[in-house]
Amino acid sequence: MTLIGYLLMVSGWLLVFASLFLLAGLGQRLTFVVAGLLVELLGLGLIAVRYRSLQRGPA
Amino acid sequence: MSVDLCLLCILLIPLAATGLALIHQGLGRSRSAAHAMLATLCSLAITAIVFVLIGSAWMGFPTGLAHIVHVRHAPLDWLGAEPFFGLGLRFGVLHRPYAALVVALGLFAVGMASLIPISSGSDRWRLAAICAASVLFAGLYFPLFGHWVWGGGWLAQLTPLFGLPAFTDVGGAGVLQVVGGLAALSVAWILGPRQGKYADGIAAAIPGHNIVQVLFGCIFALMGWIGLEAAAGILFHHADFSQVVLTVINAVLAASSGCLAAVLTTQIRYRKPDASLSANGWIAGLVAGSAGCGLLSPLATIVIGLVAGALVTLLVEALELRLFIDDPGGAISVHLGAGLWGLLAFGVFGPTQGSRIALVLAQLIGIATLLGLMFPLIHMSHRLLNRLVPFRVDGDGDWQGMDIRELGAGAYPEFVVHADEFVPR
Repeated sequence: MTLIGYLLMVSGWLLVFASLFLLAGLGQRLTFVVAGLLVELLGLGLIAVRYRSLQRGPA
Repeated sequence: MSVDLCLLCILLIPLAATGLALIHQGLGRSRSAAHAMLATLCSLAITAIVFVLIGSAWMGFPTGLAHIVHVRHAPLDWLGAEPFFGLGLRFGVLHRPYAALVVALGLFAVGMASLIPISSGSDRWRLAAICAASVLFAGLYFPLFGHWVWGGGWLAQLTPLFGLPAFTDVGGAGVLQVVGGLAALSVAWILGPRQGKYADGIAAAIPGHNIVQVLFGCIFALMGWIGLEAAAGILFHHADFSQVVLTVINAVLAASSGCLAAVLTTQIRYRKPDASLSANGWIAGLVAGSAGCGLLSPLATIVIGLVAGALVTLLVEALELRLFIDDPGGAISVHLGAGLWGLLAFGVFGPTQGSRIALVLAQLIGIATLLGLMFPLIHMSHRLLNRLVPFRVDGDGDWQGMDIRELGAGAYPEFVVHADEFVPR
């Protein structure tokens, strides 16, 4: 789960980075950058959920 | 550029480190106080040496040597290529004072930022691991992102490369605070909570041992922040004298509004103002305000500080109660949370001659790079380092305190120590 989180975070950044090269319009770029950020937050959330479940486990 | 004024501002930066050290030491337990301060000194020493020998070469400076990668015919400046071991400075300080001043700024700034993860790892992070992590911070994380933003790297060149405004971070909200906050989050996740912090899924309050030191540290931090923001403004944004004065005014306004927002928020939520959260609000205001410091209007700075101060009180609670992240000094909320808000807020309130959306977009690209590239790098390298140099002290050390366990003597030998402090609850 943590590994998937990492991969999602890097994928989100690649989405943002690729939009700079592949898209020209401001609106298109903004859409892709926001989408990339959401993918990154999803990855961060997965790592956080994994950590949380580990902490709650023994209790 | 006034070399004298810049040097004077740079010399104020260690006060920020002093302030942060007092804050995280005061918010930790008394049984780990000496360890926290020694860790601070060791971290400052290691980051200074590593940054001058390695980090400064990779961070570079605008118009300096750099490694370029061509992506679809766009030349991306991704890493500095100055000589290692400070060789570029040896004969060039007088001839190239600009490069020397950038190294001097980086030397103090990276030391200050390296203290941020120590705060989140208080009371359980081993000294050897702190030293090893400081090497990575000064040799890799800070130089890498610092070059992209302050060293003329690709985030600073969004205009010629992609027709967007440059990602702007005048005083280091991203370069120092968010990078430090990401390292703090990584350390907190690797270490796990302190023993006794959570029982049956319920968080126990472990109050800081010296709130007077924490509040005193806030004043030191303000002075250091003023120096940091002014020096960075002069070096990387060609700030003139009037902008330096505005930087001073804005720093005070940001800290004040952040503190007052935290006082009000805690008064409303808990019916009494919380001193430690209010101190965190003060620092959060400084952190958020540092993204735009001398470029923003005082009114915008007050709004940014108010939001940062209120935000940090909510984040501290959410991290502790919902995500089970034990962050004794509140470093993640203060430096990561407020830092990200400050970067975004510059896009909303910052001066622009073109499209406002383009400015927001440029700031979002920087934020995405911090979260999507820097955090995986930091967290994975910390996890690898944890295998070589275990981060967490053993269970006995957790109860004894880091002072006795690692240093053999406590910070306050004349204090009465309650017996039940050493009994697992």
